Amino acid sequence: MTDHRSVSIVMIEDDEGHARLIEKNIRRAGILNGINHFTDGTTALDYLFNHEHGPARNGPALVLLDLNLPDMSGTDILAKIKGSPELKRTPVVVLTTTDDKVEIQRCYDLGCNVYITKPVNYESFAQAIRQLGLFLSVIQVPEIEGD
Amino acid sequence: MMGRVIRVFGGTQESIGRLLIACMAVGFAALLAAGGAAVWTTMRNQAHTDAVNHTYTVKLAIAQTRTLIEQGETARRGYLLTGDPDYRHNYAIAAAQTSPEIDSIAALTADNPVQRANVATLRPLVRNLVAQRGLSIALTAGGRANEAVERFVAEKVARRMYQIRALLMRMGDEESRLLAIRDAEQRAAVRAFYGVLAVAAVLLLMVALLSIATVLRYTRDLANSRDQLRGFADSLEEQVVERTTDLTRANEEVQRFAYIVSHDLRSPLVNVMGFTAELEAATATIAGLIDRAEAEAPGIVTEDMRLAAREDLPEAIGFIRTSTQKMDRLINAILKLSRQGRRVIAPEPLDTAALAKSIRGSLQHLLDDRGAEMIVEEPMVGIVSDRLAVEQILSNLVENAVKYLDPKRPGRIVLRGAREGMRAVFEVEDNGRGIAASDHSRIFDLFRRSGTQDQPGEGIGLAHVRALAYRLGGTIDVASELGRGSTFRVNLPLIYAETKSNRSERDPA
Repeated sequence: MTDHRSVSIVMIEDDEGHARLIEKNIRRAGILNGINHFTDGTTALDYLFNHEHGPARNGPALVLLDLNLPDMSGTDILAKIKGSPELKRTPVVVLTTTDDKVEIQRCYDLGCNVYITKPVNYESFAQAIRQLGLFLSVIQVPEIEGD
Repeated sequence: MMGRVIRVFGGTQESIGRLLIACMAVGFAALLAAGGAAVWTTMRNQAHTDAVNHTYTVKLAIAQTRTLIEQGETARRGYLLTGDPDYRHNYAIAAAQTSPEIDSIAALTADNPVQRANVATLRPLVRNLVAQRGLSIALTAGGRANEAVERFVAEKVARRMYQIRALLMRMGDEESRLLAIRDAEQRAAVRAFYGVLAVAAVLLLMVALLSIATVLRYTRDLANSRDQLRGFADSLEEQVVERTTDLTRANEEVQRFAYIVSHDLRSPLVNVMGFTAELEAATATIAGLIDRAEAEAPGIVTEDMRLAAREDLPEAIGFIRTSTQKMDRLINAILKLSRQGRRVIAPEPLDTAALAKSIRGSLQHLLDDRGAEMIVEEPMVGIVSDRLAVEQILSNLVENAVKYLDPKRPGRIVLRGAREGMRAVFEVEDNGRGIAASDHSRIFDLFRRSGTQDQPGEGIGLAHVRALAYRLGGTIDVASELGRGSTFRVNLPLIYAETKSNRSERDPA
């Protein structure tokens, strides 16, 4: 069991605006966990796997992942996370504009935990994020072995 | 490429063909002439043979005459010497035949003046001789044999006989001369005949060779052109396949483009909408502030501030919202269309009449609402195609018909389907407000609409219908008159055949 405050949020989102809106709504939902924001896949992967405060080496985390990244596809990152023994239990929330069925199925096949389409209708988007915040507040992230 | 080949056919090939035909015509004409010549020489030959035979007949008659005269003389002398009635009898026979024989010679040689003269000389001599002989025979028969012998000696019969013999000899010679001439003529005619035959044989051979050459040439030409045609057909097919592949590739590219663009356009739109909402929230806060300021310190609030917080900002935000919402709908429409192109077509036998009735059922409340009726004309043609796509096409068209009815008259929509060759033609006919001729092709374009904009919609339906019709290997067109009504005609293959282009779209992109 772990205190939910210690769960750090890793947001991989290339659009600064989206990132800001997501963060605002998470905060409005009352979630105060630390958010690490990355705008490209390479630095995000580096943080996830190699950084000393990163989830692979230090503590539980939750990943908010956008699929359209400038340097790689979000599904590649998803596959790497779910394929690694240290991070495979880390919850991944895919947040993207793609509402293509094939793409959604592919994400779930790769092990994505939640898939949220960013709607243009802001109210429903905000609501989705707030519900995600609720989800974050009750989520129990497994402790990494040996921690 | 085609044109060049045709020019080649029309140029050298044809002139060679003409030359061959001319040669053959000349050859056949020569052959005909040779045949005519052969007939002519044969006839000539026949005439010569007749002439030769005639000469022989004349010669025979002359010899016969001479024999008869000699026989008569011999019989007379025998009778004079012996008085034997057998001689007298023989003489009578010979004497009786002599004159007719001379007549026959005269008849046979009537065309020859030399012989006519000879016969004229012969006749008195013979007549004289016959008279002398008749006297001798009569005397002897009357028992006056001595007188008869005396007369015989006196008459110098031998000299007359010599004359007759010489004359007959001359006649014979005359005939021999004619015979020689006619023989030569006959031989010449036979030679000419053989010559003509030889020429004809050579001509025949040449014509035969020419004919064979012509036939061979034409056969070869035919084979060549057949091969060329087959080549064209093959290359045409290849070209069609190539073009279709190009088209498909272009189509796929456009779809991918539409997909990516519409997708990437949504991203900034999320921001616009999101921050507009933030602005709205902030505006509410500011409006609250203005309210408070007005209540607590009215002096610091100007009219501009009030307007900005209470009217300008909400109005601007409202416009941003409606615009982004509209943009979102348009982007979604493009997305939907591009997805339609990727959908896998699943052909199955369709009962189109049942399909049409189910469409009527689903639109019944709308029909009732507008006081319109919809008639499904039966029987309708059955097709093998994609159920969903056909249903979407027909229901879109019927829905449009219901939407754009003319309020001045009760709506009447007819849906019918008939077979035309290997195609099925479906018609959706209405008596609605109609479409101006200038808009007939425009209405099938995305986001384009026609007439009074009094109905909700984005101008997507018909673009969607046309994309579906194309996808099913069909076409769509419209016949309409403003104020009278419209008829949409969808032409689909009876049996959906998956083309290469459609197959390649199966691969998920």
